[in-house]
Amino acid sequence: MVKAYRQEHVYKHPWERVSAASWRKFADPENKRILSHILEVDTLNRKLDTDTGKLHTTRALTIHAPGPWFLHRIIGQDICHCVESTVVDGKSRSMQLTTKNISLQKFIEVEERIRYDPHPENPSAWTVCSQETSIRIKPLSALASMAEKVEQKCAEKFMQNSVKGREVMERICKYMEAESAPI
Amino acid sequence: MGLLKKKDSTSGRSSTSPCADLRNAYHNCFNKWYSEKFVKGQWDKEECVAEWQKYRACLTENLDGKLLTRILEVDGELNPTKQAASKESS
Repeated sequence: MVKAYRQEHVYKHPWERVSAASWRKFADPENKRILSHILEVDTLNRKLDTDTGKLHTTRALTIHAPGPWFLHRIIGQDICHCVESTVVDGKSRSMQLTTKNISLQKFIEVEERIRYDPHPENPSAWTVCSQETSIRIKPLSALASMAEKVEQKCAEKFMQNSVKGREVMERICKYMEAESAPI
Repeated sequence: MGLLKKKDSTSGRSSTSPCADLRNAYHNCFNKWYSEKFVKGQWDKEECVAEWQKYRACLTENLDGKLLTRILEVDGELNPTKQAASKESS
């Protein structure tokens, strides 16, 4: 039982700015109110390949995911830890983020992949973001009998949060644009 | 509640972790480096090293060991797929 969802979004900002905004997304205090489901973001590992310009980073996200009451009753906790693994290729200008839950894995696995690439039609000024989310309910878990309902709720939540995430990204981009504009 | 070992129960929902200041210092330094140097092709040198070491030391001291191990395991699982994906795109 795997459900996958794809979304695409074009930012009318260069890749350099969008990828920088992605790093700031969870950290700027201004956005903490909007992305209030993100409680903590910690960087656990970083590796820069000084020859190839590849930057690997591992972050831990602590997420508040209360979910609907029927889920809460089964799972009994509403804090979820996730690992976010990122590779930025400075040479080819690509950024790839993969996020996976490490809590609640016996019930559900959610994997989210996000890529930021220069837009093929306007590579120096626009950026395309493609996002793929897959949700997998473990077949023998307590959630299996209501898998469809859980998946649907989960997907709705993801969509809501990704809309919020996009708004925040757009805002940071605008702010960074203003910051870098010549006076 | 968070990633860090339980402290007092009143520790609220965020940013009260003992490493918050060091974390902010590192992330600020990183963000500056990323947008002013890395994306301009200046990746020949690691920066924010002092900030990173202090922050990292604090995390090591305060982090729940079991959780950290699990995180690094999952990170290892995620990494091979990422390398394959980046080969595809090049």
